[in-house]
Amino acid sequence: MASATQDPASTSPGGSGGPAQPRRALWRQVGSRIIALREGSIILITIIVAVYFSANTSTFFTGGNFETIMPYFAPLAILAAGEVFVMILGEIDLSIAAMYLFAPIIYYKLNTSLGLPLGLALIGALLLSMVVGAVNGIFVAVIGINSFVATLGTLFTFEGLSLIISKGTPVATPGGQIPVGTFGKVFGAGTYSELIWAIGIVALLQVVLTFTRWGLHTVAVGSNKLGAAEAGVRVNLVVIRNYMLCALTAGLVGVFEAIRSQTVQPNPAGPNEILFLAVAAAVIGGTLLTGGSGTVVGALIGALFLGILKDGLILQGVQANYLLFYTGLAVIIAMAANVYVGRVRRGHTGSG
Amino acid sequence: MADAGGPKVVGPTSAPDDVLRVEHIAKRFGPVTALKDVNLHLKKGEVLGLLGDNGAGKSTLIKIICGFQRPDAGKMFLQGEPYEPRNVDDARRRGIETVYQDLALIDELSVYHNLFLRKERVHRPVPLLANRQMKREARVALDEIGINIPRIDVAVARLSGGQRQAIAVARSVSSDADILLLDEPLAAMGAKEGAQILDLVARLKDEGRVSIIMILHNYVHVLQACDRVSMIQDGAIALDKPTSETSVEELTDIVVNEYRRAREAAHAEQARQQQQQQPS
Repeated sequence: MASATQDPASTSPGGSGGPAQPRRALWRQVGSRIIALREGSIILITIIVAVYFSANTSTFFTGGNFETIMPYFAPLAILAAGEVFVMILGEIDLSIAAMYLFAPIIYYKLNTSLGLPLGLALIGALLLSMVVGAVNGIFVAVIGINSFVATLGTLFTFEGLSLIISKGTPVATPGGQIPVGTFGKVFGAGTYSELIWAIGIVALLQVVLTFTRWGLHTVAVGSNKLGAAEAGVRVNLVVIRNYMLCALTAGLVGVFEAIRSQTVQPNPAGPNEILFLAVAAAVIGGTLLTGGSGTVVGALIGALFLGILKDGLILQGVQANYLLFYTGLAVIIAMAANVYVGRVRRGHTGSG
Repeated sequence: MADAGGPKVVGPTSAPDDVLRVEHIAKRFGPVTALKDVNLHLKKGEVLGLLGDNGAGKSTLIKIICGFQRPDAGKMFLQGEPYEPRNVDDARRRGIETVYQDLALIDELSVYHNLFLRKERVHRPVPLLANRQMKREARVALDEIGINIPRIDVAVARLSGGQRQAIAVARSVSSDADILLLDEPLAAMGAKEGAQILDLVARLKDEGRVSIIMILHNYVHVLQACDRVSMIQDGAIALDKPTSETSVEELTDIVVNEYRRAREAAHAEQARQQQQQQPS
């Protein structure tokens, strides 16, 4: 659970509790250790929410229910993981919803119209997503269009293109039909497939963010663009490749979901909702919209929080019409707690 | 209009042991002319002080030499070879390191990550950051330079202005550069920290390995730390002298005269405009 810049273990201030109150000092130390983590507040909040639902419903803490939550939060976690990198740059990528829609349609077309094998069709769809990501990056970094506007443009364009190519008709996903083959099971249809991908991708991307030049330069550009450029960081390249990464994760999740649900649905409504949930997961997890800092693991926990919340509210028998309302309130409360804990943390460790 | 009665302009100069020569460099930003015709040379092991009023073009010149900006006209020569840096990396590969006026530090990153930005040490074969090695090397480099930073694993946002400046200087000094460009290395520093940096420059000069161009504001510092002084006025070099042949008085006089000349020019311009307006 490392975060991008700091070293929480060495900055824990709780150790000064003194020998007179060893137990309290220990608790304080544990508390400040968690708070010192960038993801600390959302971990606490998620645990509290999970405990609350476990206590109030008999069915929440069961294996069956975990399988209900999983397909909701796993794709969200992967999407948010990619979005985190763009958000650390201080930018945003709205077009992930379009890639989520576009990639499975390309995957379908490459397989059925060109007759490519499933694996090659998947690679082709992902490569095309990355090209769109590169276009986003060029708009933002080279041409200098505001990222919200630029990716709003590509969002509409590629959702529109998806409708044109598919003629607006749902089709059966290649590789997703029963009996599902190994390919389908690996890429979305298997019970734990998306969960394993989500954990693997989040772990990999957290390592990339914390322990590689890629991550270091991403933080540098997001924190001080001019300074990074003066130090020799190739800012444009950093921006472009992070948009490509973000588009790649979005396209991948799109294909996973199409295979899992057995149909390629050319309907932008679902993807657009998922886009906002992914941004919410990243933000709740502790990534700033202003750039310069962020955490992939936090985004995973943010997605888990959203999944637990929705599932728990349903299990509690909350009326469907109230669901979005409560989700909104919970997001606001979680964010407020985040900001507060973040301020405490900065007060302790000083690093943003 | 600045030419009439303006400061004299130094033409291309050179010495046999030049590491860097800058000839007829010009740079415009839209309607603003930052540099008109700059000629400069830097000898091996020399410390050159660059003086000039705010907006005279000192920082622009530094940014052109270090590859951050490209000149509109003019030529540069590095060790006698034509030198046209494509970017900062390119300049750095050819041995030119820079401390920018805005320091180019990343607040979010730790001291040692800042020191190694773009020169990160990584493991092989999996290119993960070799943080422990970087911490160790950063500590050694800072100690060698004689800069006291208590903690090198904290974000630089937590450091004082002087410490930040010191890290920016350390970043360029700890590399094996042939030429150091220091844009106001003493800004934001207290007297003690400033003295440390000047000591460091003096030590580097004694070693004789690197050549340094340093922008300074304090004439006493210039005379103390530099071998030679160049003054930019109106986008061109107006004075180029060994520090042994000049004095605080002479440097001050030049600036005072420049102010007087600029004020007279402004008055003349005002009078001319008023005359033009009266007939109508």
